[in-house]
Amino acid sequence: MAPVTLRNIKKSYGNAHVIHGVDLDIAEGEFVVLVGPSGCGKSTLLRMIAGLEPITSGELEIGDRVVNDLEPKDRDIAMVFQNYALYPHMTVEKNMGFSLEHRGASKAEIAERVNWAADILGLKPLLQRRPGQLSGGQRQRVAMGRAIVRNPQVFLFDEPLSNLDAKLRVQMRTELKELHARLKTTTVYVTHDQIEAMTMADRIVVMRDGIVEQVGAPLDLYDRPVNTFVASFIGSPSMNFLKGTATNDSGVALEGGAHLPLPASLDASGEVTYGIRPEHLALAGEGEGFEIDVTAVEPTGSETFVQGTLGGQKIAALLRERVAVQLGQKLRLKLDARNAHLFDPASGERIG
Amino acid sequence: MKTEFSPRAKVAIYGLLCVLAIPFVFPTWWMVTSSVKPIDQIFAFPPDLIPRSYDFSTYAQVFKLQPFAQQYWNSAYIAAIVTIGTMIVSSMAGYAFARIKFPGANLIFMVVLLGLLIPSEVTIVPLFQMFLKWGMINTHWPLILVPIFGAPSVFATFVMRQFFISLPGELEEAARVDGLGRFKIFWTIALPLARPALAAVAIFTFLHSWNLYLEPIVFLTSPERFTLPQALTQYVDVYQGPMWNIQLAAATLTAIPVLIVFIFAQRQFIEGLAHTGLKG
Repeated sequence: MAPVTLRNIKKSYGNAHVIHGVDLDIAEGEFVVLVGPSGCGKSTLLRMIAGLEPITSGELEIGDRVVNDLEPKDRDIAMVFQNYALYPHMTVEKNMGFSLEHRGASKAEIAERVNWAADILGLKPLLQRRPGQLSGGQRQRVAMGRAIVRNPQVFLFDEPLSNLDAKLRVQMRTELKELHARLKTTTVYVTHDQIEAMTMADRIVVMRDGIVEQVGAPLDLYDRPVNTFVASFIGSPSMNFLKGTATNDSGVALEGGAHLPLPASLDASGEVTYGIRPEHLALAGEGEGFEIDVTAVEPTGSETFVQGTLGGQKIAALLRERVAVQLGQKLRLKLDARNAHLFDPASGERIG
Repeated sequence: MKTEFSPRAKVAIYGLLCVLAIPFVFPTWWMVTSSVKPIDQIFAFPPDLIPRSYDFSTYAQVFKLQPFAQQYWNSAYIAAIVTIGTMIVSSMAGYAFARIKFPGANLIFMVVLLGLLIPSEVTIVPLFQMFLKWGMINTHWPLILVPIFGAPSVFATFVMRQFFISLPGELEEAARVDGLGRFKIFWTIALPLARPALAAVAIFTFLHSWNLYLEPIVFLTSPERFTLPQALTQYVDVYQGPMWNIQLAAATLTAIPVLIVFIFAQRQFIEGLAHTGLKG
């Protein structure tokens, strides 16, 4: 395993600039997830680390080598692709041993490494099958087997779970995490699924339009998003943003007349965007909190997702209780001021 | 989803298929049976679908009247070289046009495709003059070189290019990460996966060469250099009338490799398709 360092990495296609100077230090053995909406440049960045896309400018180091001009095969990386990219005409065994074979490894060494990887991933009974004869989850495992068999310095994953159904995705997520805990190989993982990012990463890199918005541990991003983009991207369902004016009594007066509390530590004045996560709202008794007009109720059994408006602004609440409320009725909610976030309404940047 | 038919519907479908097969099967049947009929029986009316008597001496005559074995060999080796040559040229050219980015690739491909628009009758005279200059008249070179670098190969290149375009780019990228260079990617990944397309190319190239008629009659003059389609026309009596039963015996022998190639390549075709499980 090796650290990966990106220094002012840029990528342009002619006049179209897609990556605008990314700086990132990935420590040895770290599991870093690049996350962001489609077109944010996360896959391009990963492909530049892999050597599949040339770097327009900047410096990329893997270990202590600058690898900008090295071919993928010389970077000592292994990559798992979104569609697995298994060679359809080769058996699982041949797929897994293919890179070793082309690097001149002996037959005994190939067999040993393939067996080792097959053991870890539970692929032993499938070694003589072809990819076409495997299920999605099995193919995913073979793709991982092909990556680990060579014991590379860095693993690169490009949305590897996006073709799996929801249940299998959860299972593979756990397996990937266990694999990383066992091998401790530096990993860069691309996904657009923030749940994947939150559950797997040591650190998350949130990207938008070719720039890094925030880098941090999953819970840091959840607790202290630097702007409304990160705040809305991390966390599901998305954070509520309410426009209002900060008042002198440690509160925010909303446009519709409601008044929301602020923690004492936050000293703001003027126009603000008040952020509160749906799961940080709770049912309130008479005389406390504020009232919303309910527009949708989605009970899931374990919780109830309520959508509504507060002074004309949209608001959603994720409640632990089963709520017997109908469309068009009013519902009284409260919140703990310590969970509130304040953002500048113009720039979207965090205040305080 | 597989549709299940009732037994009655099945009988009706198979019956219809049998009727539809008649126009395709009858000429072959007529050729094979007439090749062993005495000449007067061929023109009998009403026609005999099954010969009343068998005369296999027609097959001996085929070899006695002309160096048919030599002509057979000529056709076979020319078709084999043309098929292999076209497969090599078209797969590499098709791969280059599909997967390698180089300036003017599309323009060059369009120019290559234009070759398909020019009928062979138009180019046969200049080709004759060219091969005459090169001293290749009455040799097999024109029959080998023209298809490999001419219209059949252009069509084959088009087929291969379309196939390679559909090959997922991730496969090549995985191979690059695995340590393969461009040629090895072509040879070990792209080409084995192109088996269905290669089989199609092999079938039509072989058939095209095997059935080639215009070029042999222009470029070849001596019977021992003839290819089969040209040789078939030589089974005539002193009045230049066709010796039908002998000609049909020769035609039957000529058709055998075509059937073998088709049956063999068809299997390859299906096998190839079954292994193209590229989807994730």
